[in-house]
Amino acid sequence: MREAGVIQNYALFGAAAQMRYSEPVATLDADVRVAVPSTGALDVLRGIYEFCAARGWPAEGEAIPVGAWPTQFVPAFSPLTREAMEQAETADFEGVPFRVVRADHLAVIALSVGRAKDFTRILALLESGSVSREAIARLAERHGLAEAWRRFETRFLDE
Amino acid sequence: MSDVQKPLERQAKWQKSRAALSWPEKIRMAEAMRESVRQLRASVSPEEREAARRRRAPPASE
Repeated sequence: MREAGVIQNYALFGAAAQMRYSEPVATLDADVRVAVPSTGALDVLRGIYEFCAARGWPAEGEAIPVGAWPTQFVPAFSPLTREAMEQAETADFEGVPFRVVRADHLAVIALSVGRAKDFTRILALLESGSVSREAIARLAERHGLAEAWRRFETRFLDE
Repeated sequence: MSDVQKPLERQAKWQKSRAALSWPEKIRMAEAMRESVRQLRASVSPEEREAARRRRAPPASE
C-alpha cells in the first residue's frame, strides 16, 4: 500500500502490538494506524478500502479481513499517535518486515485512553520489562499526560 | 508460604514464561484463543445467552 501511494506510513497498534512485548492476550481484531496522502476528501480511508477490495479483501463492517485478522485502519490524527507511528520499530514477522509501535508509546496511548483494559496493558508492559516507569513518565509529560500518569502510579504502582 | 500459594506462584511463573515466546507464536496463540471463544459462543443457544444476560443485568428499578 505504501508503494502504491495509498498510505504514506503505518504501524500496528493495540493488543497485537502489545503481544510483541508481553504474554499473549485475547483480542478480536488488529489495529493499524495509518498516514494517508492529503486529498481533501472527507472519507480519508476510501483509498485503503478500494485498494483492498480490488485485491479480493472487501471490508466487512468496520474492518478488512487480512488473513485471519479483521483489521481496522485508523488515521493517526493526534500528535501522540502520529509520533508513535513515525517512530515505530520494524519487527520481523516470519520473514516479513512489519512496523510495530514501541512499548513506551503503547503504554502512553493506553494511559490517554484510560479504560480498565488499557490500564491492564500498561501493567503488562511494565511487568514484561519492555518499558520502564521513567520512560512512560517522560513520554507522558511530553504529551500533556503527566497528571494522568501520576494518578496511575498512585492507584496501581505505589504501595 | 502456604500450600495454596506455591502452586499459584508456579502457575504465574509458567504463564509469564509465555512472554518469552516469539511474536508470531504469541499471535498464533491469540488466534487459537479467539477461535475457542468463537466456538464457545456458537455452542450457547440464544435462550441460554438471554438468560445469562438477565443474570448479569442489575434488577430494574420500580
